[in-house]
Amino acid sequence: MRAFLDMGGYWPYVWPSYAVTLAVMALNIIWARRLLARSRREALRRLAIGGTQK
Amino acid sequence: MAWTWFHRLASPPHIYRVAGRLTPWLAWPAALCIVAGLIGGLVLAPADYQQGDGYRIMYVHAPSAWMSLFAYTTLAVAAGIGLIWRMKVAHAVAAASAPVGASFTFAALVTGSLWGKPMWGTYWQWDPRLTSELILLFLYLGYMGLRSAFDDVQRADRVSAVLAVVGVVNVPIIHYSVVWWNSLHQAPSVMYLGKPTMPPSMLVPLLIMFVGFTLFFGAVLLVRLRGEVLSRERSASWIREAVQP
Repeated sequence: MRAFLDMGGYWPYVWPSYAVTLAVMALNIIWARRLLARSRREALRRLAIGGTQK
Repeated sequence: MAWTWFHRLASPPHIYRVAGRLTPWLAWPAALCIVAGLIGGLVLAPADYQQGDGYRIMYVHAPSAWMSLFAYTTLAVAAGIGLIWRMKVAHAVAAASAPVGASFTFAALVTGSLWGKPMWGTYWQWDPRLTSELILLFLYLGYMGLRSAFDDVQRADRVSAVLAVVGVVNVPIIHYSVVWWNSLHQAPSVMYLGKPTMPPSMLVPLLIMFVGFTLFFGAVLLVRLRGEVLSRERSASWIREAVQP
């Protein structure tokens, strides 16, 4: 386990690389869901104020 | 007659529904591939005879770099289709693609720099490959910045599409930079002349990661696309149908 975490001495480069990439993926999921939720909210508001065409 | 599928494809309610139904079919295989690729790349693949365990950065660096180019190509093609056929949905695809591509370009640059330090002795070098990839990040940021400068989505779509199409010239430059110029960066070793230069134990996890990242891009793109389609839609009847519980 120690040897695995040490990555042959390259741990200061290997682990931050994985951390950055996985963080980018997590953020992509969060941002995408947030965009969809916001668009739905705004669409509902447009419906409520009647700012849409039939 | 032959064009009905094209019009159906371009119809926002259809896209909204299909994208929603398709998302889990991309997201779960993506998760599976990425977990398998991580285990394969970090645990199962042997250490490199020159770079030791340091080369394992490749399993996140190369797929991120691939995503940066794939997302930009998607963006530019969609923007071009949007310009030529005035298709709202195509513009929505382009807009949805940009933030995803930009974030993976960032990941490719950071992981590349973290790989460069122990192997080349420097985090950064104004090298053709590195510089052209940095320009790609600026293209993405320029595209998104330009979009946000317009209140009207339709105008943002048209103006930003021109930038996206012009910028696509950078994609082959990035890809061939290591062949055309002397570069610190290695030449492609996966697809080079159809014969990979890696043993299968190293190559298979990498290929699984490529598939996983591409599926991940597809899933995120579909979620964003639904948001983009919805924000362009003004027809009450289907919004009511799509949004209301």
